[in-house]
Amino acid sequence: MSAPTMKFIDAASNRWHEVTADDALVPMPTPCAECLLSTAQWQAVRTTWPRDIPVGIVLANDVDVETIGRDVASFAIVALQFPKWTDGRAYSQARLLRSRYRYTGELRATGEVLVDMLPLLARTGFDAVVLRADQSRAVAERALAMFPAGHYQGDTLARQPHFRRRLSESAT
Amino acid sequence: MYRYDDFDRSFVHQRAAQFRDQLERHLAGSLGEEEFRPLRLQNGWYVQRHAPMLRVAVPYGELNSKQLRALSRIARVYDGRSGGPHAGKGGFGHLTTRQNCQYNWIALDDAADVMDLLADVDMHGIQTSGNCIRNITSDCFAGVAADEIVDPRPYCEILRQWSTLHPEFAFLPRKFKIAVSGAIEDRAAIAWHDIGLVLKKNDAGEVGFEVRVGGGMGRTPIIGTVVREFLPWHEILVFIEAVVRVYNRYGRRDNIYKARIKILVKAEGQKFIDAVEGEFQDILERDIDGSAHLITDAELARVSACFESPDGVTAVAETPIDATNATPSYTRWLARNVHAHRLSGYRAVTLSLKRAGQPPGDASANQMALAADLADRFSSSELRVSHDQNLVLPWVPATELPALYAAARESGFATPNIGHLTDMIACPGGDLCALANARSIPIAASLTERFDDLDELHDIGDIDLHISGCINSCGHHHSGHIGILGVDKDGQEWYQVSLGGSDGSTLSGPSATGKVIGPSFAAEEVTDVVEVVIDTYRAQRTSHEERFIATVRRIGLDPFKAAANAVRRATAIDG
Repeated sequence: MSAPTMKFIDAASNRWHEVTADDALVPMPTPCAECLLSTAQWQAVRTTWPRDIPVGIVLANDVDVETIGRDVASFAIVALQFPKWTDGRAYSQARLLRSRYRYTGELRATGEVLVDMLPLLARTGFDAVVLRADQSRAVAERALAMFPAGHYQGDTLARQPHFRRRLSESAT
Repeated sequence: MYRYDDFDRSFVHQRAAQFRDQLERHLAGSLGEEEFRPLRLQNGWYVQRHAPMLRVAVPYGELNSKQLRALSRIARVYDGRSGGPHAGKGGFGHLTTRQNCQYNWIALDDAADVMDLLADVDMHGIQTSGNCIRNITSDCFAGVAADEIVDPRPYCEILRQWSTLHPEFAFLPRKFKIAVSGAIEDRAAIAWHDIGLVLKKNDAGEVGFEVRVGGGMGRTPIIGTVVREFLPWHEILVFIEAVVRVYNRYGRRDNIYKARIKILVKAEGQKFIDAVEGEFQDILERDIDGSAHLITDAELARVSACFESPDGVTAVAETPIDATNATPSYTRWLARNVHAHRLSGYRAVTLSLKRAGQPPGDASANQMALAADLADRFSSSELRVSHDQNLVLPWVPATELPALYAAARESGFATPNIGHLTDMIACPGGDLCALANARSIPIAASLTERFDDLDELHDIGDIDLHISGCINSCGHHHSGHIGILGVDKDGQEWYQVSLGGSDGSTLSGPSATGKVIGPSFAAEEVTDVVEVVIDTYRAQRTSHEERFIATVRRIGLDPFKAAANAVRRATAIDG
């Protein structure tokens, strides 16, 4: 198994932005390219947002992803949050977005994202991260390359658990 | 026992390599203590009162002699200090109620080397701490118990593999403990766990689990709620995934004392159960490959094959045990430390780690090596760690009992006190643990000294005495017939005594929390309190057959309170 791919985003390469005015979120944003909306903003514009303008959404980690489940095809990017790196709620959100709601766009980890979280992020469906400023990309990539033979349980990268992979290997 | 294959073996070595990388970054200063902490915890490394503590996983309590020799070597070579204020300390392992093995004196600089040594014998410290799914515990007589309905070990191993480095559940609101049993008798305190599973067979002979969720001790002791009477065995991973996902999403994270799943279950009641059942259905019906974690017959068969009886072990005719020349102590050892076996001609034997001069559950490097020798000689090289902090030899031919008794006595393992008052559970307490409010070891030592008469212990009969050094309840004081809890008052050590708790065994009755018998006692009063509580029982029991716990239930706390209050000196209370 090769190391999972992960897009590393920093301030310079980030093109997506929140829609604010005077440091507050605009309640009813005007459609624009590369807008990253809050759930409230999205609810306000979801029926009127033009289909040809890609849009992103930021989900707080206590939001039930079911609330945007039927809209996932509309999003080019979903940003999930780690307010503290020991708060693991966004892993479940990511897993559900990928496995239950079939979300295929970019899934970005934001907030307190540390290098040692990378294997967990990759395995729950994240494909992009904004590392905390003091974190080393090289160490993050090394962390991703560990466990080359895979893991026991299935995840969003290898959906079959090892016990089913083991069976198919011995059958061939 | 389970045999590691190449994948399993390479996995624990990878984990050791990953930990070495993290430790080196920490020691080099690029990984700060705050960020290193959750990583080292999930490998079993705490920082305690004097030094780091390592907790090694003994999955469902099963060990072989080679592994125990490696644990012995770690105690001998790495556990201790050559200089400084703690020179001469260490050199031992401590067996815990969760069937793990802890060291208290290993230097952090050696941590990665120790993990490599463990990996060499198919061991690790994965998820023995941290807010994740912890080591899975079970009945110490699993696979050999005479009253067993289904051997829980293959299911424990499948659960161990599934929970190991589960990417979604590494940062839960709080720790998460699972226990599994498959016998009539509950020897694993099932209802006291975040998830407690009991294997059973339905009328059609099919195997399934009774599933309890939301048990736990700590500040708010709660007995787990049955959420499924019979869950088909192959659905267990999916069902647990549903439980843990609901907990990860909705468990409280604002208050560490309200973060365990028991609080969520208690607060939400049926709503919680409905959410779990909904999630379970959603996984199976809506998720991509949602059925991938249904356990296959082939996988159960593969894992179960590891748990066949050891080579050469098969039922043989019982030969009557020759008691003509038996000494009273041998007869007593047969009665207390030797247990029924599912195979005729075999017994399980407990090596008591409850004796004067050593804390409950401690084994020195030398003692661990001796126990490994006993396992090689008498038990097909296998051992178990019991929930009661003893070692068990699971495969002893009955004809070898006299020879085993002699050898165990020589090694100091033959105290015939299993189930007696001195077979107490105790945490390491304030001597070693940074969380403790008070010391446990001196209380245990004082009780062991006071109750050193085997005739007296025999007369008192079966009793569970449990000591915790703080409300975290590692010493399970809530479930003791006599529970002792260390509390801190103005920097002084005090002890709350409770009576009538139950771990859920037949002797103890349905799981229950003990009731406190009054204000805390001073350390020097505790042993006297236990003595008068026992005296009260002996005076009040209807016959020698009425056990302590039954007397407490029958007559209530008042007679015990009155007796305990009469021995207060430092804590005299009026009226």
